[in-house]
Amino acid sequence: MVMSKRSNTFTIDGRAIPFIVGETVMQAAIKANIYIPHLCFNPEFTPNGSCKLCTCDINGRKKSSCCTEAQQDMQVNNETHELTGMRRTLVQMLFVEGNHYCPFCERSGNCQLQALAYDLGVTDLHFPQFTAHRNVDASHPDLMLDLNRCIFCELCIRSSTEVDHKDIFTIAGRGINKRLAINSKSGLLKDSTMKVTDKSAHICPVGCIIIKGEGFKTPIGERLYDQHSIRDVGNLRPDSAVKATTPMQAEKPKKKLKLATCSLAGCFGCHMSFLDMDERLIELLDRVELSRSPLNDIKTCAPDCDLGLIEGGVCNTENIAVLKHFRESCKIIIAVGSCAINGGVPSLRNNIDVKDCLDEAYLNGIGLVNPKIPSDKELPYLLEKVYPIHEVIKVDYFLPGCPPPADAFWKILNDLLDGKEPELPYNLLHFD
Amino acid sequence: MNKALAALIHQQVKVYRGDATYLLQILRHIQFFCSHIPEQAIQLLSFELKISIPKIRALIEFYHFLHYQPRGDYDIYISDSIIDHMSGKNEITSYLCEKLKVKLNQPRADGRVTVANTSCTGMSDQGPAVLVNGLALTRLSRKKVGQMVAKIEGKIAVEAWPKSWFNVADNIQSKGVLLNSEIKPGEAIKKALAADPHDSLTEIDKSGLRGCGGAGFKTAEKWKSCLLSDDNRRYVVCNADEGEPGTFKDRVLLNSYAEQLIEGMTLCAYIIGAQKGIIYLRYEYQHLHKKLQETLQTRRAANLLGTHILNTELSFDIEIFMGAGSYVCGEESALLESLEGRRAIPRIRPPYPVTHGYLGKPTVINNVETFCYAALIIEKGADNFAQQGLAGFSGCKILSISGDVEKAGIYEIPLGMPVKNVLNLCGAQSVQAVQVGGPSGALIIPAEFSRVISFDSLNTGGSFMVFNHSRDILENALNFTHFFMQESCGFCTPCRVGTKLICDLADKVATGQGARLDLDSIKQLNHVMNEMSHCGLGQRAAHPLLETLEKFPEYFVKRMTDVEYQPSFDVEKSIQRAIDIVTIESN
Repeated sequence: MVMSKRSNTFTIDGRAIPFIVGETVMQAAIKANIYIPHLCFNPEFTPNGSCKLCTCDINGRKKSSCCTEAQQDMQVNNETHELTGMRRTLVQMLFVEGNHYCPFCERSGNCQLQALAYDLGVTDLHFPQFTAHRNVDASHPDLMLDLNRCIFCELCIRSSTEVDHKDIFTIAGRGINKRLAINSKSGLLKDSTMKVTDKSAHICPVGCIIIKGEGFKTPIGERLYDQHSIRDVGNLRPDSAVKATTPMQAEKPKKKLKLATCSLAGCFGCHMSFLDMDERLIELLDRVELSRSPLNDIKTCAPDCDLGLIEGGVCNTENIAVLKHFRESCKIIIAVGSCAINGGVPSLRNNIDVKDCLDEAYLNGIGLVNPKIPSDKELPYLLEKVYPIHEVIKVDYFLPGCPPPADAFWKILNDLLDGKEPELPYNLLHFD
Repeated sequence: MNKALAALIHQQVKVYRGDATYLLQILRHIQFFCSHIPEQAIQLLSFELKISIPKIRALIEFYHFLHYQPRGDYDIYISDSIIDHMSGKNEITSYLCEKLKVKLNQPRADGRVTVANTSCTGMSDQGPAVLVNGLALTRLSRKKVGQMVAKIEGKIAVEAWPKSWFNVADNIQSKGVLLNSEIKPGEAIKKALAADPHDSLTEIDKSGLRGCGGAGFKTAEKWKSCLLSDDNRRYVVCNADEGEPGTFKDRVLLNSYAEQLIEGMTLCAYIIGAQKGIIYLRYEYQHLHKKLQETLQTRRAANLLGTHILNTELSFDIEIFMGAGSYVCGEESALLESLEGRRAIPRIRPPYPVTHGYLGKPTVINNVETFCYAALIIEKGADNFAQQGLAGFSGCKILSISGDVEKAGIYEIPLGMPVKNVLNLCGAQSVQAVQVGGPSGALIIPAEFSRVISFDSLNTGGSFMVFNHSRDILENALNFTHFFMQESCGFCTPCRVGTKLICDLADKVATGQGARLDLDSIKQLNHVMNEMSHCGLGQRAAHPLLETLEKFPEYFVKRMTDVEYQPSFDVEKSIQRAIDIVTIESN
């Protein structure tokens, strides 16, 4: 490659990028319309360099591109197989660290963490969840703070000091116990000088700082990242809803396989969505034979099942038995839907001791006659927590969504029937 | 509010001229005075220093030895390094807790005493060791514990305990050019002052001296970069925060070679044109504080410190800052953050401290040992130092040797010495492995014992821990892994989340629940943490576990299940809990 010595250029993935001395790799990349994944970087503020998603291979060393100044002839690799894998791991780390439940988060579809997961093709958490105990502060009349979703990007801190000149937020604690703290005597947002008009109210990339009353202005499914990849539109906040695209058409299935399905701690919504494949089900039945499933009421899996679709998380002893039965009977296990992938709604009890849950439901609740915890031998026992299924058995594939759309079922089943590695296109990969 | 506490705060704020960068120093005083930081103190400080309450809380929550809840009148911390474990730390801890009728980390109901674990306190040559109200007490035996408990139950103030209990031995086992030298206070400075500061810098450069804290950066180059910086207000900072488990050589230097250290710092000040120096002393070395202050005072009286040193233009004085419990402060830019009264979060570099250091001004930060050698080099000449060393290496290094050896202590060795010779020196037998450079260093097996100690091949900030064949090396990895999780500052994603994930995986393996896929996760995490973490802590945190897996797979195999996958939690235990609740409550 011939490069002019006079103009300042460096390369990203082999492409020559001009830069002004003093600019970081990230700044130059943005100007050249190249997307380097990031969460804590925002061109309006001092770079922080903490999320590490923008790490690139820079002259052979891994460095944060938001904190590294561009230099003449520097060689930067951004889109490599290795970096994509590492970034995927970072996103999974952020997901298990906090409590990120997309199906009931009002930022879903406008969330930059979620959007990055979509872009990187993250379908599962991989690691065990931490079930962090964090607070929700709804004291402010216009704003809500759900610390369960904080990813420590520190954008609120920077915008509050650099733009609002208020210093509302700070980080306290260390290591995994670090927390976002509010600058007020009570520690509550209502007692701070925070206003909904502040820059820091409009900066959170995830669903931690939420403006009350506008969460569902745009319906789920029609939000920014439901339609557009973060690499195409960049790290944007809500307000840019775009019209839905038409569902893709997949090819016809070919080979016949044995399929089993079940629902653990779930709502059967994923099964309903499965049925939404409508007339395509007839085509599907040409190629699959249904073994155990609530759809046919067969109670055990054939020992040689090819596919097991599991909806719901693991909340009790029966779920464990069913899971083990599926793992033993099925060659491939697919975790279907949010509850199977991260515990979903049932796992909201995870921050409460199981004894307190039982006491509240059966002993202390309102309107109970003859309060008593049921102890019939037929009843399964509750586990201490509700677990995603990958924490109990090995899972081969993950089909996210709450529920996953019928087209996603159709696509993943067809891929497997065709002997292909299942892959979800962007419009079928969502967590809500 | 307690009048005495209010008076203390007023006095402290006055002493530090209302300068909020001294917040950590003031909080330490309050912690000692009240055995915690009371809410009223936070509010008063916030008012007096004009700093927001959460910023004060941020510090209390960050530093290990600061607390919201009162500790006992006798606040005991037990050093929890692997070497302490090998010298019976767990038995001593159980005995101590049993005698005092107290649970770990829980103050006794009468508020008399608390017992808690803490990261290595720098006493690996004389463990098991504890800190009692900040003061070190070493070589604990059941007998000593019994005597201690009697004093505590008899409400005898720590100041009135026998002085001999608090003796900390130097354990100098092998002396080289530095430990043998007896520089008369002021000799090196006199020599330097007689010539141009540039000559001194040339001499340091000629000696080839490199930073002894671990990174091994060329000392003369660092000093020169600082000298060439635009800003004229410059600082000399001594990093006396040796927190790497197994290292204690700076403790000995600070105790018995403080004159050389101060001489070295003064020389640096002369060379780079600094007027102020700071010694950042780790909390665990509280017992050295008074003696160091006295040495500074003596030197001031002898006109070797202060204004117009030896009646020349050189004016330079040194202040001691105390840490409050944080390993990451050993990283130079985190140390600067701590000096400025903030949480110790490593800064984004560049810019480096030599141009943007303490208070944003050009700063030289060096380890205790480096300054001591600098003084020696000026006094005895560069060649004297450079001639040391074996097999083409030049210079010396002080090792802190501990573990399964005959004579634990410090050894000054020529660089280039093979590990096997070091092992002979300290009388180590039946050696299974050596951890060189502490948990962030390398695990060396007998096949590698001909590797030599040097900056470029086998680098160490000083820690050299020896393990014989009776040791389960996986226990080391477990201890190191937990150490890193406790000490992670939490700034960047890979380290904050990764250290916890790695700990959980290590525990899973240790409790017999590990499966083959968990090993893949360890490798995957190590890769991400090593390549993406903001500083050395996160980069090295997964390494001990992985290195043990590579070099001692048998310790893993012994404890692993022979399956591909195991659940992330103990399923049987979780079920049993539910059965218990239902059975008890339904009856």
